[in-house]
Amino acid sequence: MSVVTDVERQLGELREQEAADGTPDLRTSVMTHVAWAPPKWADAARRTLAGLDERHPSRTILLFPEPRAKTGIDVTVSMRCFAMAGVTREVCSEVIELRLGGKRAQAPASIVRPLLISDLPTFCRWRGEPPWGEPELEQLVGVCDRLVVDSSEWTGVPAAYEQLALLFDRVAVSDIAWGRARDWRGRLAALWPGIKKAERLSVTGPKADALLLAGWLRSRLRREVALTRRSAKELTRVAVDGVAVDAPLGGPPTASDLLSAELDLFGRDPIYEASVKVA
Amino acid sequence: MSSAENPLLEGLRLRRTPEPCALVIFGASGDLTSRKLFPALYSLAFRRLLPESFGIVGVARTKQTTKEWTAAMKKAVQDHGRDPFKQDVWSALADSMTYVATDFADDHGEDEVLEVLRSFDADRGTSGNRVYYLAVPPAAFETIVNELGERRGDDGWTRLIVEKPFGHDAASADELNEILKQWFREDEVFRIDHYLGKETVQNMLALRFANGIFEPIWNRQFIDHVQITVAESIGVEGRAGFYESAGAVRDIFQNHLLQLIALTAMEPPIDFTADSVRNEKVKVLRSLHTPGPKSVVRGQYGRGFVEGEEVPGYRDEPDVAAESTTETFVAAKLYVDNWRWADTPFYVRAGKRLARRETTIAIQFQRAPHPPFAEIAGDGLRPNVLLIHVQPDEGVSLAIGAKVPGQGMSIRTVHMDFLYGGAFRTGLPEAYERLILDAMLGDATLFTRADEVDEQWELVDSIVAAWRRDRPNFPNYEAGTWGPRSADELIHRDGRSWRRH
Repeated sequence: MSVVTDVERQLGELREQEAADGTPDLRTSVMTHVAWAPPKWADAARRTLAGLDERHPSRTILLFPEPRAKTGIDVTVSMRCFAMAGVTREVCSEVIELRLGGKRAQAPASIVRPLLISDLPTFCRWRGEPPWGEPELEQLVGVCDRLVVDSSEWTGVPAAYEQLALLFDRVAVSDIAWGRARDWRGRLAALWPGIKKAERLSVTGPKADALLLAGWLRSRLRREVALTRRSAKELTRVAVDGVAVDAPLGGPPTASDLLSAELDLFGRDPIYEASVKVA
Repeated sequence: MSSAENPLLEGLRLRRTPEPCALVIFGASGDLTSRKLFPALYSLAFRRLLPESFGIVGVARTKQTTKEWTAAMKKAVQDHGRDPFKQDVWSALADSMTYVATDFADDHGEDEVLEVLRSFDADRGTSGNRVYYLAVPPAAFETIVNELGERRGDDGWTRLIVEKPFGHDAASADELNEILKQWFREDEVFRIDHYLGKETVQNMLALRFANGIFEPIWNRQFIDHVQITVAESIGVEGRAGFYESAGAVRDIFQNHLLQLIALTAMEPPIDFTADSVRNEKVKVLRSLHTPGPKSVVRGQYGRGFVEGEEVPGYRDEPDVAAESTTETFVAAKLYVDNWRWADTPFYVRAGKRLARRETTIAIQFQRAPHPPFAEIAGDGLRPNVLLIHVQPDEGVSLAIGAKVPGQGMSIRTVHMDFLYGGAFRTGLPEAYERLILDAMLGDATLFTRADEVDEQWELVDSIVAAWRRDRPNFPNYEAGTWGPRSADELIHRDGRSWRRH
């Protein structure tokens, strides 16, 4: 039995089981969500997914590559069902976990493509730094409508941004590090027109967030702005020419909130792309 | 400031947040404020959608301190809010609240409100921007508008939110509009019909104008008729004083029901700006043919059972006259006399103490012209119906004929359901959240314009005028049913029937 046939069989059985509990189930999907999660990211991927399913009912395909393992594919299929307020129905999302062993990790598109839901967009969340130019990335870029990364998970910034920029003409890209700094960009925008003459940006936060913030300011102002950074797990302080900017209200959004926001976007983001190119 | 003036704003996708402003609620101790307005304000605060510089002034006759009012509103949010209660969110909101106990006609009290607003401008940076919310009975309307007008300053902008009912007939609505016009421009007046704030009502526009498959068949050639139902299972619930003088025709038909017709029948607007949308709606209201006496029926509920519980008849409700002739049910056959809808009936009904709470718009399409399976279809071959559930179970269903698995060719009607709660599980915002926010932003798209109100009342006046000539034989339907027999006869005469429930 092929992997795809096996997945479809398991999904069919799960739907029957869900229907047997007497609560009518509703399969609703607004997209196919593909997540590429190397072993060190597997738990984080599952945690984020748990906070996401309710907001973006979708078929989720979790790909766990293990290139050093024995060649083969392990399949786990599950349904996540959530009661709907006010009605005796549940809405169910399908989660397909595929452990890609050995050479199978190099050909993910051939496994993903037959499992995509027709006519709906495909979002790919790539955990960690993508292996630039490698077949698994190249293939999934070809399958996805939107590639979602978090460049704060990368060790190779800013050099890696040059590689990322090469993908812009092939796939729309979202960066969670960019989304995370949105309210800070709003704060900086509110300083217009005074900020027009800004010379120095000081950021306390992750490297990627700081680089993108500086890249944004440079690209929008069309000139150099120097960046100094103090390392921190979260963006906690931004200053322009030594003057601290008021922090946005409220706490930082959760990983699920951030990914959720990116999954609502379609099309390219020229402001982000321009920022990456000068980050 | 636009992104052309400030390049840092381009592509920022910031949440729509209003400019600094103060919100003044007249009727701050009333039911609407505690059940709807404050839960909505809390939800806006919860999502950080309120302006950073913001203040709330509650104005009402009830003698109480700011502290007491704030405590009452906190309880209201805990009881009626849709979001989890967070003390830090509430504390920020509560810090912005001040209560002024005064009679609305009392100059001293109104001056005190003005003083509070000036202190907000100075201390909170509300910049002279004001949103006044008139959550008061119609009798208080003129006094408040005049008091506000007389004290109107030159700084900042002013927006006035007016609750329904907006008048009780065309003449009184005209009078109210004249009073408003003395002090406020039309673009400063926001007449609330909270149905327009409901997501599913707005989704009607998305359904029609964002989907290429519907608009080509959204006309008399493909649609047999339209049914709109606004049904409540509750009775007058302590509103007898208002309801006795209003009835179903003024309480529901004049506003909610006619707005639903307008959204269903309107032509595509050129854009989604307030005037474009409202221009198209008003054209529909102008096209509505005045129904003849046989095309309108009214009813009043008698004793009956609702959800297993025995309930009294309308005339037995507290504060209702023993011989009351107020209608608690109205049904009508209406025609939109224009090129798109000529000869296509819109059957509408609204009432209290009906079998269940339901607001739906059902678009019934023409039957298939020559189904080859007619003889073996049995009950199956029914026309397609596109059903828009406004409340509850918000969503859209399409009834289609499908083959029953197995031998032969049996056809059954099945429903394809799109449930809002299934596809977008973020929780639907309450109508008042959207409407209060829009008013703060100055977006009047989902509010009713003066000429819409005029058209609505003209139709209602013509219906009510005919009713004055005879005395109805009330009660004429049992509580817990779908209304009087005459409502069934209204539609049966045309060889049609109300949707099955």
